[in-house]
Amino acid sequence: MIGKLLTADFLKIKRKGLWFLTALGPIGVVALQMVNYGVRKDYLLQQSEDDWSYYLLNVHSFTPLALVLGIAILTSFIASIENETNAWKQLIALPVSKLTVYLSKFTVLATLLLLSSTLLMVFTCAYGMFLDLGESVPYMELAKYSYYPYLAALPILALQLWIASVSHNQGIPITVGIFGVIFAYSAYVLPDWMIWKWPSLMNEWDEPIINVLFGLAVGIILYIIGMIDFARRDVK
Amino acid sequence: MEYIVQTENLSKRFGKEQAVAGMDLKIRKGEIYGFLGPNGAGKTTTIRMLLGLMRPSSGTIKIFQKDITKERINILAKVGSLVENPSYYPHLTAYENLEAIRKILGVPKSRIDEVLEIVRLKDAANKKVKGFSLGMKQRLGIAAALLHNPELLILDEPTNGLDPSGIIEMRNLIKRLPSEYGMTIIISSHLLSEIDQMATTVGIVTKGKIIFQDSIEAMRTYAQPKVSFKVSNSERAWRSLVANGIKAEYKEGQILMDECSDEKVAKIVQILVQDGVSIYRVEEEKRSLEDIFLQMTTGEQAI
Repeated sequence: MIGKLLTADFLKIKRKGLWFLTALGPIGVVALQMVNYGVRKDYLLQQSEDDWSYYLLNVHSFTPLALVLGIAILTSFIASIENETNAWKQLIALPVSKLTVYLSKFTVLATLLLLSSTLLMVFTCAYGMFLDLGESVPYMELAKYSYYPYLAALPILALQLWIASVSHNQGIPITVGIFGVIFAYSAYVLPDWMIWKWPSLMNEWDEPIINVLFGLAVGIILYIIGMIDFARRDVK
Repeated sequence: MEYIVQTENLSKRFGKEQAVAGMDLKIRKGEIYGFLGPNGAGKTTTIRMLLGLMRPSSGTIKIFQKDITKERINILAKVGSLVENPSYYPHLTAYENLEAIRKILGVPKSRIDEVLEIVRLKDAANKKVKGFSLGMKQRLGIAAALLHNPELLILDEPTNGLDPSGIIEMRNLIKRLPSEYGMTIIISSHLLSEIDQMATTVGIVTKGKIIFQDSIEAMRTYAQPKVSFKVSNSERAWRSLVANGIKAEYKEGQILMDECSDEKVAKIVQILVQDGVSIYRVEEEKRSLEDIFLQMTTGEQAI
């Protein structure tokens, strides 16, 4: 059942520019560092003994923003495909369970974002090598900075999908998304419990893995709440 | 008698508004069931409940003798539907739209060409639906509803917004389906003429209740003609008719007769002429189904 829905959902995102946006995010994040290192490479290399780590930190300073913005845009695109002509009613009148419909949408988004994170890792690695930051490439760190923010951002994804799929007015999820981006931008000053802070991997214990574990746990909880609410509602 | 669709005391309430109030539908196999009622009578809400899109506030729905709340997926595997405005994905072609639905239904790919053929959209199969006319979108919606060869087809206002040629085309298509594919069809409309030309059975709904449910012929028997007489001194003429033992109605200077046989009309004319009344006109007034429908739905006069 889920397999059929997934292939249908991937067909529906054709020509909507979602694949393009998926690639654009990581390209943008790395491109900012291209500008940064292009302009003042010598200065930046002086800042730290460990050039790779410093470079990864620089890349990571924009990852949460791109991620939160990307989530808001992608969820609202996915929801708009069904909302545009109220295709929800056609979809849900098919012999499918509403829970599976919701799971399929979530899976499509999670897959796109995973791809995005992977691309980020590839681009970051490639540009890092191009900069010649040192012989030993810290692959573990590279993977951490690429996938940890993604996992820590799952609650935001679950929340945005929930809002986008139950609102008839797409202004609501967009507004929430914009606030999310502002929150992610001011992650420094946010308290630790705010989900928009989590992709920055900052917390008072300085242990990024905590954000990842909380992200997974709260992400699953918010996903389940959203799914149940979606299934419970009447389709207009 | 086995019913394909049977609802009992079906009700739906939105806050304070009672959209459907104790609806009892009975639909037999092979019927084209015309679901008729003015806008806002609760037709679409009922249809949404039949499709499991909305949960009833109370009452039961049985489709193929199964309870929709318990076996929704099994039931929907044999039901095709088109609810209100057609839903489609404008950025995809007609073929891709059907493909997206076909994947979920799990029917062979060849069905797409077959249904496109049935609704005559084959030439436009590879065009984006964005540029389709409303009639084409509506036909695409029907094609999607036919994909899995359903036993029950539910169409909500399928001719809404179509031009006359589109309406005729849609009508011919719908009429053809039960005989060619053994489908049972529920079709809702607020236009009696529409239902009159397609349906075999009618259910008239107003204010969330069924007020008439029978064959279309049974409904036509209500449409008996009346004969009206326009005469010079109508009040005196009416009195003399009543004096002669003929039941007539006197209304706005006219004499009205229900169910007049030819002999009766002849006799009335004879009486009036002998009475010295000048007869200007003898007219047959056909009561259209529209009149009956309006009468039923406004509820001022029960039949």
